[in-house]
Amino acid sequence: MLEVAVHKRLDGFRLDVAFTAREELVVLFGPSGSGKSLTLQAIAGTVQPEAGRIVIDGQTVYDSAASIDLPPQARRVGYVPQHYALFPHLTAGANIAFGLADLPRRERERRVAELLTLFDLQGLERRRPHELSGGQQQRVALARALAVQPQLLLLDEPFAALDAPLRGALRQELAQVQTRWGITTLLVTHDLADAFALGQRVIVYDGGRVIQQGTRDAVFFRPLTRRVAEFVGTGNILPAVVEQMTAGTLWLQWQGRRIAAVPAQFVPGTPVYLCIRPTQILIVRPDRLAERERENLLCGDIVGTLMQAETYTLHLRLDESNTAYDLEVALPGYVYHRLSLESEKRIMVELRRQVLHVIPRDAGA
Amino acid sequence: MPANVRRALLLVPILLVVSFLVLPLVAIFLKVLSREGIWETLQRPLVTQALRLSFITSLSSLLLAVLCGTPIAYLLARCRFPGAALVDTFIDLPMVLPPAVAGVALLMTFGRRGLLGPWLDLMGLQIGFTTVAVVLAQTFVSAPFYIRAARAGFQSVDQELERVAYTLGHSALSTFLRVTVPLAFPALLGGAVMAWARALGEFGATIMFAGNTIGRTQTMPLAIYIALQSDLTAALVLSAILVLLSFGVLFCVRLLLRRSPFGAYA
Repeated sequence: MLEVAVHKRLDGFRLDVAFTAREELVVLFGPSGSGKSLTLQAIAGTVQPEAGRIVIDGQTVYDSAASIDLPPQARRVGYVPQHYALFPHLTAGANIAFGLADLPRRERERRVAELLTLFDLQGLERRRPHELSGGQQQRVALARALAVQPQLLLLDEPFAALDAPLRGALRQELAQVQTRWGITTLLVTHDLADAFALGQRVIVYDGGRVIQQGTRDAVFFRPLTRRVAEFVGTGNILPAVVEQMTAGTLWLQWQGRRIAAVPAQFVPGTPVYLCIRPTQILIVRPDRLAERERENLLCGDIVGTLMQAETYTLHLRLDESNTAYDLEVALPGYVYHRLSLESEKRIMVELRRQVLHVIPRDAGA
Repeated sequence: MPANVRRALLLVPILLVVSFLVLPLVAIFLKVLSREGIWETLQRPLVTQALRLSFITSLSSLLLAVLCGTPIAYLLARCRFPGAALVDTFIDLPMVLPPAVAGVALLMTFGRRGLLGPWLDLMGLQIGFTTVAVVLAQTFVSAPFYIRAARAGFQSVDQELERVAYTLGHSALSTFLRVTVPLAFPALLGGAVMAWARALGEFGATIMFAGNTIGRTQTMPLAIYIALQSDLTAALVLSAILVLLSFGVLFCVRLLLRRSPFGAYA
């Protein structure tokens, strides 16, 4: 259980955040410079807030109202900064042993050996940080932080220094470490894939404020504002207007089309954003059109194709539209080829109402 | 113009500069070796006393500079406070000040008629024209060299490393000694050597503020100046010793920094 409220001004920047988390893996997600790292430092105790309250598993480490401010040495927080901050003048073994200075030598050596094994670093204890690979450096940093048995692990952009293939592997590794140690972990990232892969709870930062917090699914699939929708890669954020509520359906007007959505409390005429992730739009094959009842069927031309390694993103311009394109549709590469979309220009798509998310246009900034 | 001619032309200024720097040093040694009675000269009080005094005073002023300068350097490197630029300028000032001015300034502060003179008198202390005055003069002109280098060294140490050390339970002092100092060590050592060399060569401020008494205030540079007028051999021998000492120390530090593990990321 983590409870954080921090107010802090620094060089014209204002950090004013509050969040709580019961989950074990919590992600602070937002653009660079939105105050995520500063929050970690405030929790670690290396930056002093002007006001606020920080409670880690029932222990108050900072409370401006009660004049509590434990020094970082007493907070039992494992802090792994961006680029790991391994001590360059010490070997991997000495780095891991750094927090164990108070233990008798024998005990210290035993613990270090244990951690070296646990983190698959045997044989590397005499290497200096610059002689280790990025993944090994990360493991040393984790072992060093966990050696002192902290009650909270703080990770600042743990994958920022790594190339894409390694990132995926280390994400899994980190998740395993977290599970094995059962330690509450707060991870800072500006990377959507990191946040999605790891965050059980996601706290969205923007300009020194928390603009949404919730479970991963809530944040990624039900953003509260346009800004959050953009951050979490919603892809299609379409300005629409509420037309009417009928039994079981919320009808929206979007570019002269009627779209059916899941019912919600809206007054007719309310301007809204209709949100749908590119991967959730279904391409309907003409020969299978009649297989079941279809919702929100749209026809259009493919006017652009963006190919990433595994996912292809199509830009779709709907019939009778005069914009550059109206919808982003993403699909796995093999589906793209099976549907022969290299040659086919005209497709039909279905927006299923369960995956449509509607937010009021005046929500937030 | 062919390339080899152009290259040869480039060689001219290089050779000029190098020989301008090296030739005077060579001259000292050639002249020393041409003299009779070097060994006897080495044992004369003028020489031995100057050697002893320079050794003691330059190391004392270095110790003073390191002990007092290290905290100041760390503060300047880590803290932002109003007037930091002013403090900075004052610390650098002795490096550009003519040593004679430094001597007068010290005399006007610690001398019998100086600002603090009456109080020092009351406590029965006399500083002007004593060995203490030599150390003060040397510290005044040499400490800035150390402080400047130390500050740059501390600034180059990533604060994130210190933060991590705090979260691992290390106090500020323990972190300073186990993380900051080892990482800033090349800069600290370099600064210390520069400060020590400056103290060893100190002449102007010493002669103004401490005078020129054999065994008490006559350091090697002063002894060289005096000997030059009466005993050229002694002047040459002392000069040769200073050259060897300076070269030896600089060279050792170079080697040490290259071989030490710190060198890799210095």
